[in-house]
Amino acid sequence: MKLCFYFQVHQPMRLNKLSILDFCKNGDLKQMYFNERKNREILLRVAEKCYLPTNRLMIGLINKYDIKFALSLSGVFIEQCQEYAPAVLDSFNALAETGNVEFIDETYYHSLASLHKDKNEFIEQIKEHAKIIKRLFNQKPTAFRNTELIYSNEIAGVAESLGYKTILAEGINLGWRSPNYVYRPRGCSKIKLLLRNYMLSDDVSFRFSAHAWSGYPLTADKYASWLSHCTGDVINIFMDYETFGEHQWKETGIFEFLRHLPAEIKKYNLEFATPEEIEMEPAGEYDAPNVTSWADLERDTSAWLGNDMQKSCFNEMEKLGALIKQKNDKKLLRIWRLLQTTDHIYYISTKKMGDEEVHKYFAEHQSPYEAFINYMNIIQHLKGLL
Amino acid sequence: MKIAMIGWEFPPLVSGGLGTHCYELTKHLSEKGVIIDFYMPKIGYEVADSGANIVPVDFTPITPYAYPKREDFFQKVISYNEKCASMVAKGNYDVIHCHDWLTVIAGIKLKKTLHKPFVLTVHSTEYDRTANLFPWDRVVDIEKAGILHADRIITVSKRMKAQLVDRYDADERKIHVVYNAIDPKRFTGVKMKKPKERIVLYFGRLTVQKGPDFFLKAAKKVLEFENNVRFVVAGTGEMLTQLIDLTVKLGIQDKVFFTGYVSDEDLPKLYAIADVFVLPSVSEPFGIAPLEAMASGIPVIISKTTGVGEVVRNCLLVDFWDTNEMANKIIAVLRYEALDRTLREREKMEIMDKGFSWGNAAEETIKVYRGLL
Repeated sequence: MKLCFYFQVHQPMRLNKLSILDFCKNGDLKQMYFNERKNREILLRVAEKCYLPTNRLMIGLINKYDIKFALSLSGVFIEQCQEYAPAVLDSFNALAETGNVEFIDETYYHSLASLHKDKNEFIEQIKEHAKIIKRLFNQKPTAFRNTELIYSNEIAGVAESLGYKTILAEGINLGWRSPNYVYRPRGCSKIKLLLRNYMLSDDVSFRFSAHAWSGYPLTADKYASWLSHCTGDVINIFMDYETFGEHQWKETGIFEFLRHLPAEIKKYNLEFATPEEIEMEPAGEYDAPNVTSWADLERDTSAWLGNDMQKSCFNEMEKLGALIKQKNDKKLLRIWRLLQTTDHIYYISTKKMGDEEVHKYFAEHQSPYEAFINYMNIIQHLKGLL
Repeated sequence: MKIAMIGWEFPPLVSGGLGTHCYELTKHLSEKGVIIDFYMPKIGYEVADSGANIVPVDFTPITPYAYPKREDFFQKVISYNEKCASMVAKGNYDVIHCHDWLTVIAGIKLKKTLHKPFVLTVHSTEYDRTANLFPWDRVVDIEKAGILHADRIITVSKRMKAQLVDRYDADERKIHVVYNAIDPKRFTGVKMKKPKERIVLYFGRLTVQKGPDFFLKAAKKVLEFENNVRFVVAGTGEMLTQLIDLTVKLGIQDKVFFTGYVSDEDLPKLYAIADVFVLPSVSEPFGIAPLEAMASGIPVIISKTTGVGEVVRNCLLVDFWDTNEMANKIIAVLRYEALDRTLREREKMEIMDKGFSWGNAAEETIKVYRGLL
């Protein structure tokens, strides 16, 4: 059976505080809207805790066990690396050069553009991403994963029309069927769909250090044996790359787990493969008339469009698009796109219960209301310039 | 269970949260079968019936706020306490329960002579009332003595508990937090015709503790961006003339309206016409008004130094001195409909969910009494 590991790498460009009282001020929009100091600080911190040590470990594992996996780096992450931490990009490049790491496309701006009525913006952002991956890592991605695994029949259709061979999605709404097979999106004829095995993925990314969980402590041999007991053609383990050292701190033993995992996996009839290498024909059709994602317990778009404040920001941003494109001003277009990163709108979520901890972790702002006021102030300021 | 409660004021005439608190607390304690003799200064009219037995103490009531000579006021407080103590000593009580420094001296004396448990509720300290600017040592000393001698202390927030531990060396183990409450029914379903202008409301005593001057400074900034707004300053207090002067100095006198004293009847109507409520308290142990405003369904902006902020989440917080941010948030609520709507919906839900009822507060108070018997 094939084992397909895929990791998402992303850091948003965090916003500055912009008060309505500052609306009359002029200046460079990027400096006005984005908090350079904070972005640098966080990127360097996560580089130290996660990206650099994980990449180092992965190179070692590739050399020793010939492991394979897929990565996608958001464009906004790449830009910040270029600016603040070129060494991080070098280490991703080293991974690319091993030939064992497949780079996957996504939206450059880690945006919700796929949910706009007009899909052109979505397509342009994917193309921009493909361009930078080609330039930096000399790969032409054949697989596509949308922001936060946001997926629907329609989105699969767009990916197919752009020539992608594979698309990734959350393994839900399957009924009696298993995510461990290749599927064909409804309405598509060529593209293959890989569905995330969210139980086994979340065992590592969310539950690894949860003392109350029956699987705790999760060791490499235990996890490999769980994988070996699966039936199907391919197990898709997708998660944030920041799982290693950032979401799960070094002290949890996550790096030890990763270090020992390949040797344990090799004990079974399991074979590392990247999306490109999954050659099986689809076992069936997968229908997603409604949008799904890998976020929160709902696994839909409610993490970003769950309340009125979020919807009003999203609608304002979408409307601004037409105005900005009329202007034909590259700088403004870029700023508008940078503002589309989902994190800005995610901080405005007011969801409670089990997921609140997740929100708290990611939210840099004190409350969703503060996040809304600031994001909306920036949107309105930008609107005022058009 | 029979309690001697020593208070200072009682509705209908109250100058702050203490009177309302005593009324609601004794009402709900009585409903739960606790017998209460409530000692307070004799006043010339009937006070509200809470079910407690009101015992007037032969003493002319005076207001602690805006008293011309504080030394005179201080002497009055001492003589009130002495009279109270001698009257209470004639009764047979399980617990002596006092409120704030105004009644502390009687509590200490009774504890020593009758050997009865002494409970002290701290609604505010001298530091709070003076906005940390000019606390009077003699009052602080009385507070310290009360906090030292009380068998149990009730505070209206964790914030207050922390203050007593930090500033008064209180023994943390004897402090119980019992939050103030409201009767949400009073504030729901009030229908009023909305004025043409948007209304930004301040309601509270006009005293340095509550920061009404910061409200006016923020108003000035809001008016630079929003024209169709009126600022309503509701309440009375010693800062009134100073605040009126300030509006003139800021050149916003035509945009600010001072209501004077607001009756219990008018208050829900005032909330109903307001678009946003602001309380920039420098030091607010709890803050009942923000809860009332939330129950009324108007967006609320409070200072980070307001106790109620530790229990509610669906309101906006600012530093009391940060009038720029206060203005930013006021404008945001006025301009962004989605924010306004979300706050209104969620704050009402929160008030219902969290059940800030006086029944609960009485229940918690009874637990404190029981722990002493």
